[in-house]
Amino acid sequence: MNEPIGARVRPGWGRGASGTRVGALVLAGLLVRAAYPGAVDNARQIVEEAQRRAEATSQRYEGLLEVLDAKGRISAKRWTLERLGSHGRSRMVLRFTAPAEVKGVALLVVNHPDRASDQWMWTPAIERDRRIALQDRSTRFFGTDFSFEDLEERDVGQYEYSMLGDEAVDGVLCWKIASVPTRRKSSQYTRAVIWIRQDNYTLARIENYRKDEVVRRLTYSDVRNVQGIWTARRLEMSDLGRGSRTRMTLEKLQYNLPMKDEDFTLPSLRRP
Amino acid sequence: MTRIPGPRVDWACAFAVFLFVGLPVSVQAQAISYRGFVELKSVLFPQDVPNDTQNVVAETLARGEAFIRPAPWVLVAAGVDLRFNTHDQVGGTWRPDIGGRRALRPPVSVRRLSATMHRGPVTVDVGRQFIRWGKTDIVSPTDRFAPRDLLNVLDGEFLAVNGGRALVALGSETIDVVWVPYFTPSRTPLLNQRWTVVPPSIADRFVDTGASIPGGSQTGLRWGHTGSGYEYSVCFFRGFNHLPNVDTGFRLEGSALSLVPGGLAGTSIDIIRTYPSLTMVGGDGAVPTRWFTLKGEVGYFTSSASGTEEYVQYVVQLERQSGEWLFVGGYAGDFVTAKGYSLSFAPDRGSARALVARASYTIDANRSAALETAVRQDGRGMYAKGEYSQAHGPHWRATMSASLLRGEPDDFLGQYRLNSHLAAALRYSF
Repeated sequence: MNEPIGARVRPGWGRGASGTRVGALVLAGLLVRAAYPGAVDNARQIVEEAQRRAEATSQRYEGLLEVLDAKGRISAKRWTLERLGSHGRSRMVLRFTAPAEVKGVALLVVNHPDRASDQWMWTPAIERDRRIALQDRSTRFFGTDFSFEDLEERDVGQYEYSMLGDEAVDGVLCWKIASVPTRRKSSQYTRAVIWIRQDNYTLARIENYRKDEVVRRLTYSDVRNVQGIWTARRLEMSDLGRGSRTRMTLEKLQYNLPMKDEDFTLPSLRRP
Repeated sequence: MTRIPGPRVDWACAFAVFLFVGLPVSVQAQAISYRGFVELKSVLFPQDVPNDTQNVVAETLARGEAFIRPAPWVLVAAGVDLRFNTHDQVGGTWRPDIGGRRALRPPVSVRRLSATMHRGPVTVDVGRQFIRWGKTDIVSPTDRFAPRDLLNVLDGEFLAVNGGRALVALGSETIDVVWVPYFTPSRTPLLNQRWTVVPPSIADRFVDTGASIPGGSQTGLRWGHTGSGYEYSVCFFRGFNHLPNVDTGFRLEGSALSLVPGGLAGTSIDIIRTYPSLTMVGGDGAVPTRWFTLKGEVGYFTSSASGTEEYVQYVVQLERQSGEWLFVGGYAGDFVTAKGYSLSFAPDRGSARALVARASYTIDANRSAALETAVRQDGRGMYAKGEYSQAHGPHWRATMSASLLRGEPDDFLGQYRLNSHLAAALRYSF
C-alpha cells in the first residue's frame, strides 16, 4: 500500500497517454493513496502519481451539496453517485434524493478519453431521458458554484504543468503546481494553480484563473483513508465573482464495489 | 353518454397486493423510496368566451408515488393522484380510476402501478406505466404511447398506459418492444369550456355523447443506436391515435326542426369521439456538436379508418447551453399524403408548421425564469408564455406564468385568442 513513490514513478511515465486523467475530480471523487513522500520535483509526475493513487475500479457515495449565497442563505441537495471504470473511460450515474422536488432526477455520464463526455438526464416529471446540450461547460451544475467543467475527469495529457514551489495549505506542506490547458483543450479557465499534499498526494486546493484573475477556488478538507485510498471528504468551491460558495460532503464512501455495466445504461436511468 | 368500460379496480388492487407482498422476499431486503407533492393552482382568464364565462379556475393536485425493491431484480412502483377543481373538470365516482378513459379527471386515479423486472440486458415493465418515445420537445411524432390530459390544451399532462414493455440493451443497441392491450385516449377539452371553441350562435346546441373506444391492442417496436457522438432510433407503431376524430350528428328535439335563417332551433348536435386506427413508421436522432445539439424526429402516419388523413410530420430542433441560459428552438412541419374529411382534435398537428423557441435562465439554485413562444409560419396564430419560479426551503416552490394567445379564428392557436391567462401555483413537495 504505502510504497515509496520512486518504485512507481519513472521519467516519462504516462506521457502521451490520452487515456490517463488526473484526479482533480469532484463527483468522481479525489482518490489518492498514501505514500512516503519522495524526492520528486517533476510537476507532471506528481500529478500523474496523484491520479495513479486514486485509481479504483468503482466508487459509491452519498453526497450533500450546500449552496451558500452571498447573503449566507443555504440551499441543499443530496444525491447518490455510482461510478464504474477507470479514469477517462468511466461511467457514472448520479441520482438526486433531495430536496423533494428533484427527487428521482438522474444523470448518466459516459466519459471518453478523447472527447467530451456524453450526458443524459432522466426527469421523472416528464418520464423521459434526454441528451443534455453542453456546449458551454462553464454552465453551473444545478445552480451550484461548480460548473460542469469542474466536475469532469481531466486528462493529464491536455494540460501543461510546471512546478511553482512548495507552500503550506492549512499547515500541510504541498507542491504548488501551475496547470495550463493545451491548445487542443477548450476550457473556460486560462490556467489553474493546484496544491498537492506532500504527505499523501491528495489535492489541497485548486485556484482557477481567467486571464490573471482567480474566479473559482476549490478547497479540500476532512482527508481520510477509505479502504486504503486517501480521500478528501469535504470540498468547498467559492465563486469569487458572485460571492457565493458551495460545500460538498461525501458520505458513506466506498470503493471497489462489485458493479454491473448494465446499471450504467440509459434504460437503467429510469429505475430509481 | 356512452359508457366507457374500464379495467376492474378489484383486479388492480389484487395486482398491487401481489406486487407488494406476494413476492417471496424478506422485509429487510426491501428498499423503499417515495416522492410526491401537493399543488394549489389558480388560473385567471381575463376574457369571456361564448361557452364559458368562468374566469377563475382553481385546482388542487395531490400526488404520491412509492417505489419498492423487494429483490434486486424487481422494482414495484405505485402512484396515486387526488384532484379537486372549481370548474367541473374533476368528476365521477371516488372509486380509483385505473383506465384513464374518463372524460373528466377522476377525483382519485392510479397514476402508475407497475413492476419492473431486470435481468442482465433485459428489462421488462408490466402494468400501468409511462412509455415515452422520441427525442424532440416541440412536438414528438413518434411518441405514440403517451396520451395526454388536454382539458387545458396548452398544459397537457401525460397519462400512463396499461401494458407491457420489454427493453433489451446490448452494448450501444437497444430494442424496445411494447404491447398495450388496453387503449387509453387523450382527455379532450370539455364542450362547455373555453378550450372547445364553438360558434356563439349554437354554443348551447352541442351534446357530448361520449367516446367510442377501440377494443384492440397496440404494439410498437423501436430500435435505437447510440454511437460515438450521435444517437438515433427507428420505430414502428400499430394501434390507434390517442387523439380523436370528432363525428357529429344532428338530432331533432321536440316536434320539428326550425328552419329559421341562422338558427338550429330544436336541433342538438351530438358529438362523439372516435379513435382511428393508426400505423406509424418513424425515427429520431440527436447529434451534439460544438455549437449546438441537433435533434430531429419524423413520423409517417397512415390509417385504415375512412376519412382519416395520412401525413408525414417532422421536427428539427436545436439546443444550446450558454452560461446559465438554455436555448431551444426549432420547426415542426407536416405534409399530407392522403387527404381526409374527418374532423379531428389534433393539437400535435395544430402546433405544426410553426416556429417554436424556448429560453430558460437559471438565476441561482432556487430561482429560474423561462420564456417560450410558438408562431405559425403563416403568422395566423401565436402563443407566448413567460414563467418565473422560486423555491423556498427544501419543500416549497411558487411558480407564476403569463400566457398570451393571438391569431385568426381559423388557426389552431388563433382560435384560442380569448384564452390568454395568468397562472399561479404553489407546490409542497415531499
